[in-house]
Amino acid sequence: MIMVSMNTVLFISFTLFSIGVLGVLIRRNALIILMCVELMLNAANINLIAFARHSGTVAGQAFALLVMGLAAAEVAIGLALVVSLYRKKDTVQVDDINLLKG
Amino acid sequence: MFTEIIEILDRFLSFFEQSLAFLGHHLFLIFGLLAIVASVTMVFAKNAVHSVLAFLATMICTAACYFTLQAEFLAVAQLLVYAGGIVVLFLFVVMLVELSRFKENRLFQRQTPLAMFVVLLGVVGFLTMFRRLIFAPSASEALTLSPELAEGLDVAGQNAQAISRGMFTGYLLPFETMSVILLIALIGAVVLAKQERV
Repeated sequence: MIMVSMNTVLFISFTLFSIGVLGVLIRRNALIILMCVELMLNAANINLIAFARHSGTVAGQAFALLVMGLAAAEVAIGLALVVSLYRKKDTVQVDDINLLKG
Repeated sequence: MFTEIIEILDRFLSFFEQSLAFLGHHLFLIFGLLAIVASVTMVFAKNAVHSVLAFLATMICTAACYFTLQAEFLAVAQLLVYAGGIVVLFLFVVMLVELSRFKENRLFQRQTPLAMFVVLLGVVGFLTMFRRLIFAPSASEALTLSPELAEGLDVAGQNAQAISRGMFTGYLLPFETMSVILLIALIGAVVLAKQERV
């Protein structure tokens, strides 16, 4: 019998989410920022599944599946943006993109 | 002589069995900590390919966490979508954009110390705000499924069947919206990555 307490799940998903936020804030590479966004979505997914198990309904798992599909769509768009950015501006570092800077 | 050896062997085997059972009880914790280590590697890795591989490790550990929470279908879907699809996309783009030219530049943003401070502040604020909830005695007891609860998730039977029943009855509209979103993402990715003709 695997023992999982709600504390453990909340702490681990919270830590993963914080690492994702930190990565988005401190990295310059757009690809790694996208990966950190994925990490945050996964932390939310862990919570959804744990609460689905806590309440015994299937709603949390269904929404986790929807979040997974949304994450895939987001990655496709994000990577297309990175590729077109690389073609136009010849960079993937986000602080080199300062067209709107006054 | 032989009995002593057998006794020592027996003791060793029982110790091994006990530690194995202990590890088996705490599989979620183990894979969660592995996911945290891998994600820290992902954020602080110098090489982008190493970062993508650490991302892959994180996703596999997360899938293992789903397995321990008895969401088998989602765990397999996670492995297929992330380890099979998204990581390959990331690797493809990393090789496409030739990151070696940026290697001599700075790795982190200028506001890194400020950002770390803000995240730390957020973590401390969250923990103080929700400490009553998180450290409540009801939150620290093990999540065990009572039989009437297990029926809803259909853990004993097929998890995929339970999810599909929920998906196609109660959550049909979100499901259909998701299909439209995926179509939009498909068209949008093609339009964005297309060469300019003008």
